[in-house]
Amino acid sequence: MNSDSEVIPIETDVLVIGGGLAGCMAGIKASEYGVKVTIAEKANTLTSGCAGTGIDHTWAYIPPIHEKMGWCIEDLMEDHIQGIAHGFINKELLYLVASENYERVLDLEKFGVNFRFDDSKVPGKFRIVPQFHSVPSSFNFDGRPIKVKLTKEAERRGVNIINRVMITDLLSTDGHVSGALGVGTRDGKFYSFKSKAVVLCTGRVNRLSRIVSGVWGNHRLPVYETGDGRTMALRAGVPIINTEFFSPALFMIGNYEISFGVPRAEVQPAGSITGPNGEIIVPRTYFYDWENLGKEKWTSEVRRKWMAQRRADRPPYPEMYKQGKGPFYLDLTGGTEEEIKYAEWSVSNEGDGFRFLDYLKNQEKFDFRKDKIELLPNSREMAGTAASGLAVNKDLETELKGLFAAGDEVGGLPWQASSGAFTMGWHAGEMAAKQTREQKGFLPVGEEKLASLRELCADMLSSKEGLHWGEVELAVQNIVDYYAGDVRAEEMLKRGIERLDDIKGNISFRAENTHELVRCLEVRSVIDNAVMVMRTSLERKESREVPFKFYRADFPEQDDENWLSFLALKLEEGAFKFSKIPIK
Amino acid sequence: MFRPVVFNEEVCNGCNTCVDICPMDILAPNPEKGKPPIVMYPEECWYGGGCWARCPLRDEGAIQIITPLPMRVSILRGDR
Amino acid sequence: MMFRPIFFNVEVCNGCNTCVDLCPVDVLAPNLEKGKPPIVAYPDECSYDGSCWIHCPLSDKGAIKVVTPLPMRVAILRGNR
Repeated sequence: MNSDSEVIPIETDVLVIGGGLAGCMAGIKASEYGVKVTIAEKANTLTSGCAGTGIDHTWAYIPPIHEKMGWCIEDLMEDHIQGIAHGFINKELLYLVASENYERVLDLEKFGVNFRFDDSKVPGKFRIVPQFHSVPSSFNFDGRPIKVKLTKEAERRGVNIINRVMITDLLSTDGHVSGALGVGTRDGKFYSFKSKAVVLCTGRVNRLSRIVSGVWGNHRLPVYETGDGRTMALRAGVPIINTEFFSPALFMIGNYEISFGVPRAEVQPAGSITGPNGEIIVPRTYFYDWENLGKEKWTSEVRRKWMAQRRADRPPYPEMYKQGKGPFYLDLTGGTEEEIKYAEWSVSNEGDGFRFLDYLKNQEKFDFRKDKIELLPNSREMAGTAASGLAVNKDLETELKGLFAAGDEVGGLPWQASSGAFTMGWHAGEMAAKQTREQKGFLPVGEEKLASLRELCADMLSSKEGLHWGEVELAVQNIVDYYAGDVRAEEMLKRGIERLDDIKGNISFRAENTHELVRCLEVRSVIDNAVMVMRTSLERKESREVPFKFYRADFPEQDDENWLSFLALKLEEGAFKFSKIPIK
Repeated sequence: MFRPVVFNEEVCNGCNTCVDICPMDILAPNPEKGKPPIVMYPEECWYGGGCWARCPLRDEGAIQIITPLPMRVSILRGDR
Repeated sequence: MMFRPIFFNVEVCNGCNTCVDLCPVDVLAPNLEKGKPPIVAYPDECSYDGSCWIHCPLSDKGAIKVVTPLPMRVAILRGNR
């Protein structure tokens, strides 16, 4: 790649940026409206995103099962609103997710993803286990090949999938999105898209914090998800919400960072947490007894009391660690043969799980029946899947006309994970496609952004004194971990912002080739996201323990009167502006 | 990823003093006589500065040590 | 470059480069010699997701192996203690 690198111009009605679960669903649905659909993916849609190598769980309100048992959708909503999000949630979007994901499950079945099992006692032959809610809402399924199935379905419908292109900029004309710019991660060419609508589906932002084990690629979430969508949207003047919620580290399986088995969280039945002498810290869960399940016996309120009791029975892991109460083990040794086999099956379908099990059994000779696996502090991450992200209306459109978002790219929906990806992707694809049918032609796009991008890339590739992307990333992570740590305060946050601005203003990147150039551009995204974490943290003048463990030493009390709101950050003429979106 | 030691090819004469004294042994002589050494293990530099301190052509700028960004201090400037 | 995350068995791998096409962190490159295993161009950037091994058409015959580096390994309490 050089300053004369070729520009590939592409015209498409709907441009989906990011080909993960949400992006593929958006592209698939949009294709039903007779419009031209393109998915631009940084890696390869066959293996990209959080579900790149599989997913074993999704949750939904299931009318044919739940209605008979006496549960209505409001019960599930209440579970999620109170039990999971502690009120900090966009209820309108939650309704979309809770009410439509069962339909999406049926669509996934049509695309070749299996949800039914002959040995199941559950109506419909589904596998449903206790996980997030009192309403039995969580499916386990054969999700390992899901990205292959979604890619094939998208291709079958004529969606144009362009792999190995990193989108770097959104283009807009007169307050309406008009396209995007990107860089070919292998061919080094510039990609200039003209489109009538854009659906942003680039997921979360990782690499903000030092990887605890020291192995760069060892994170629970994909390391190539670097918040590219958020930084693009920010620079296009779109509000981003909840970016202050960059939480303290969670105790999960380590140092190999993967989540499974932990009771009440990434559940497989039989998993309990035990201490150094086998004492039970968190009791195990069980398969549902479908004969004896029903709303009268296990209400949302009963479950919430039960959860609160279990939390009260033990302090958080970091506290127990300080009391010298560790080590802590995930223990499935009390499981029956059926339960162990089930656990292994579902883990083998979860993201990274298939390869993890191969490592665990063949390299470690681990046996779930006899051995326990330790919980250790993991690397920090942005909290709760779609807790932070772009502010969207009920049609998933942002303030920028024609710009939609879906999945973890969206803010205001803690822990909706795959349910949000499937439903929001579908809905955003539909809304975007419908909108483009009303537009006659493409809006004109100016040349300045392309010229800027070209100059930026040329500078990085020809730089002699610039820094390797890894060096800059480490410096940024050191800053984030210290100034936006577990406890924050005004002067510390201001200093952190100052140090990040100093890096942005004074440091240049050096890339030896296109691969390194892409890594440099990713670190640029990480820096922008780090600035968002700090600036919004500075703005929120309260502490809020649940759901995201946000602590300000200088404002130690929770203040619902002033702060039961999403905090939206927006770039306006180079300055950061904040607004509150009260939570209804 | 770091470039801790940078040689000025026009000044360095390949005497290899730095190679001889590096306590981490990360430098190697250039196969071509008279040319600057190769930094074989940049990630293992401990920034001791022996190479630079003992370089006979140090004042002429033959060798430079660059502190990587994650290691730099955090300064509050006096003019703030 | 300290880790060796991916091993190819040169006798089994036929250089189809499926793994190269799919790697989400793009750390593999095709061998310049056709039919030979890919090169691990950026071993320290492996994300250990296993896409390469999962989708390898000759994975059952041992064409490719992913090895977890020591600092990443789990901490096990053996049942015979």
